[in-house]
Amino acid sequence: MTVDTLPYTTFYKAKKGIISWLFTLDHKRVALLYLYSIITFFLVGASLGILMRLELFHPGKDIVEPHTYNQIFTLHGVIMIFLFIIPSIPAVFGNFFLPLLLGTDDVAFPRLNLFSFWLYAIGALFALGTLVFGDGPADTGWTFYAPYSVRTGTNVTMSVVAAFVLGFSSILTGLNFIVTIHRLRTPGMGFNQMPLFAWSLYATSWIQLLATPVIGITLLMIVAERVFGVGLFDPSIGGDPVLYQHMFWIYSHPAVYIMALPAMGIVSEIIPTFAQRTIFGYKAIAYSSMAIAFIGYFVWGHHMFTSGMSGPAAYIFSILTFLVAIPTSIKVFNWIATLYKGSINIDTPLLFALAFIFNFLIGGLTGLVNGALAADIHLHDTYFVVGHLHYVMFGGTGFAFFGALHYWFPKIWGKMYNKKVANTAFATLLIGFNILYFPMIILGIMGMPRRYYDYLPEFTFWNQVSTVGSWITVSSLIVLIVNLFVAARKGKKAPDNPWGGITLEWQTKSPPPLENFDKMPKIPEGGPYNYPNAKSSN
Amino acid sequence: MSEKENIHISSYKEHLSTWLALILLTFMTVFVSVFGAELRTLSVATAMIIATVKATAVGYYFMHLKYEPKIYKIMMATVLGLFVFFMIMITLDYITR
Repeated sequence: MTVDTLPYTTFYKAKKGIISWLFTLDHKRVALLYLYSIITFFLVGASLGILMRLELFHPGKDIVEPHTYNQIFTLHGVIMIFLFIIPSIPAVFGNFFLPLLLGTDDVAFPRLNLFSFWLYAIGALFALGTLVFGDGPADTGWTFYAPYSVRTGTNVTMSVVAAFVLGFSSILTGLNFIVTIHRLRTPGMGFNQMPLFAWSLYATSWIQLLATPVIGITLLMIVAERVFGVGLFDPSIGGDPVLYQHMFWIYSHPAVYIMALPAMGIVSEIIPTFAQRTIFGYKAIAYSSMAIAFIGYFVWGHHMFTSGMSGPAAYIFSILTFLVAIPTSIKVFNWIATLYKGSINIDTPLLFALAFIFNFLIGGLTGLVNGALAADIHLHDTYFVVGHLHYVMFGGTGFAFFGALHYWFPKIWGKMYNKKVANTAFATLLIGFNILYFPMIILGIMGMPRRYYDYLPEFTFWNQVSTVGSWITVSSLIVLIVNLFVAARKGKKAPDNPWGGITLEWQTKSPPPLENFDKMPKIPEGGPYNYPNAKSSN
Repeated sequence: MSEKENIHISSYKEHLSTWLALILLTFMTVFVSVFGAELRTLSVATAMIIATVKATAVGYYFMHLKYEPKIYKIMMATVLGLFVFFMIMITLDYITR
């Protein structure tokens, strides 16, 4: 019996009982708590999305009243943004894999990590509590724009408190990751020897730490205005609604990069593994993450071109917006260069990574259209924006999330899923996704406004195409999740490194032991993408 | 304890001086807001500048930023720079509307 085949205690079996899970300090277990919660809320958010598409199948009323429709799209947005996309990759895969990628045994503050999860759970309870308390969920849209959010009778206060608490969870996770990256890298691992997923988490964490407090105070100002009548944003009591939009988007635009950067990090991990070669342009990809995070702070005003903001401010924000495209395209070129002349192994995770590039390109390029001042006058608040944001968030981050789930599944559970079913689910998901969202881009160009309950007859065809796409999408998601669920319970045992991975996390056992590594990992010559199993490199 | 860690111990004199400076700056803020209320924007700007100086003093002396490597000072300066940018852009929007 060799050392590698000796029996060991996995982190699943280190402790037993529900209490050992709910109060665990192990980063891997915390990650799984997040995963199960996030998947649950994703399904709730997706169900609300399906309801919206069903309502829009015909002009006029189909299944819900106009007011209920407003509440549905608000709750859909709040759940998908604050409970799914923002925490998805950092809280699940960041928590599980950051210590593994850095060669350490846990995050810097394990108790703070658990506290972050519980804050997430409390925030989720507040968000869902709006369904049963007060006058129902907010009907403002997830942006809570003033002055409507100050005046509406729905339960805005509770929704806003939910977002506030969830924001604290996000801040603490970011703080934990920054300290972990600075202090707990394995000896010999400098910043330039860190895997790119760690770099992307580092950039993301700075956004979480610096931008999230701004939304926290802004949302509390909404509560102050609703409860105490302080004139901050409502012009009828001396406030300024444009100030609200400034403060809201100072956080919420960088938040787009909280969603996108970790997804890009995952693509940077998957591609070299399946191209069987080291990543091309390591430093360019690493530093472009930091550049995106940095420039992302300066572009919030592009959400406000039609809100009454001044011309000079709009020009500056438009120019700055175009700058973000530079580091983003640097990443895309380097991913493609990594694939070029690689020994490519087309497997499920790589398919998701390639779909990310395809979808994100559409999302990114439609974003540039929105960033152009003149075009934005026509397209602002139309379905074009809805299509654009779903290509970025679902087509980008969502696909990367599911790609990561398929990539690291054997490492997390030590089992392998049915690849045929996974590939079929992927293919139908990609088709369904594009049938669902591309018609929205067309509808937007035709002039259909977003957040409308009813529409003109000429918009019917593309709305129906989109709704059919939602059926294909949700069916694919069910197959995808059931396949993974079955595999986690009854799948065949996976080897420690089923993909021939060339990064550090594949050097330990699957599932990992409680302490992650038997001995202190060493950094190979040639960088973090040169561990054994690389068939070719450089 | 290494020599490097020893130098992280600040003197009582430094703590006391910082505290007195913070108290003095607080009085200045109150004074400007009470007696300079008619200055409107200028009184707000003064309060913001005083608050920034106070935050810097707390970070530098009480939170021991002065002992940290240069990179952390650069990080703090970057954060402060971001905040200044937010203020400049929002103000620019207001005065050019």
